[in-house]
Amino acid sequence: MESSDHEVCPSEGCKDRVGLVSEDGKNSKSVVCQRCSSKVLSPGSAQFTEKELFLPFMRKKTGIVEAKGIVDGDTLTAHWLVDDMYTFENVGFTKDVGKVKYLICADCEIGPIGWHCLDDKKSFYVALERVSHV
Amino acid sequence: MDPRLNMQQQRRAAAAGGSPALTGAQSRRRKLPPRPADYKVQVIIIGSRGVGKTSLMERFTDDTFCEACKSTVGVDFKIKTVELRGKKIRLQIWDTAGQERFNSITSAYYRGAKGIILVYDITKQETFDDLPKWMKMIDKYASEDAELLLVGNKLDCETDRIISRQQGERFASRISGMRFCEASAKDNFNVDEIFLKLVNDILNKLPLDSPSRELCSSILSLQPEPEVPPELPPPRLRCC
Repeated sequence: MESSDHEVCPSEGCKDRVGLVSEDGKNSKSVVCQRCSSKVLSPGSAQFTEKELFLPFMRKKTGIVEAKGIVDGDTLTAHWLVDDMYTFENVGFTKDVGKVKYLICADCEIGPIGWHCLDDKKSFYVALERVSHV
Repeated sequence: MDPRLNMQQQRRAAAAGGSPALTGAQSRRRKLPPRPADYKVQVIIIGSRGVGKTSLMERFTDDTFCEACKSTVGVDFKIKTVELRGKKIRLQIWDTAGQERFNSITSAYYRGAKGIILVYDITKQETFDDLPKWMKMIDKYASEDAELLLVGNKLDCETDRIISRQQGERFASRISGMRFCEASAKDNFNVDEIFLKLVNDILNKLPLDSPSRELCSSILSLQPEPEVPPELPPPRLRCC
């Protein structure tokens, strides 16, 4: 699960990541909502980690092609990981979907921006691609 | 800078001990570590069906969280940070929507709550008439020092108002320590103020000079009712 020592960057956005991850593997900037700029994480509060997680798309339903009830989404690998939900400045949790709770913006509720599995109470993931860094 | 920082920094480093890459690297960091919360406070929102509890917590913007997901999944709770009197407070806000029948809300919701927001709809008599029943629940299950705030919601529907402001005030005045305000979650009128007001009252009861007590302030857990198995469909079905 801990795989922050990965040297390969499977997805694009690798170059950007250099400026986002500090030398100790933490977020060097604030993590904020892409739409409303609500602050999700303070700088230095989360650990960069790589883990393949499936997150449904954030688009509204009119933009989503519904194919036989299958959720359209991305498998994302680059995440900010925190071990305590109180590390978040602001975040919302959806109700359980199976054993997963999705993370959303606490203010405008766009999401999912992250993932939490009820089996692992100490892991809360926020996908780098689903948030902005300021 | 905040004098508590060092202490919190240590606590934080200890708490983060699970990640091996962390501890050594942390000492090398040039930047100050993020300031963790001074207090963690659990707040619940209760009230009869349709009074707008959820909208006090949510904002109901149109194109938020993938609509289909939202309607089937819904928001469970939120972590919100407020700063008041130089303290940083993390609120864990629960809304009990969907479990409005009085006896169906388990004591777990009430037990850890430092703040209870009791909501009625100013346009619906029965939601106001239900208030004594909700108070019974509070008396039975909630901690005695939980702060209470009565909210007359749907101020945006002023023309349909049935419950006067005075009625609300009168109800609240009969309960010791209960505050009252009216709000409109629809246009967010007074909503942020509600939480600030409640937090302010909660802070008044907390020992501000000993932040080490923060973790004792309430029992916090992700699931108020862990014994209830989730029954929602898996994410790949019927979503979006």
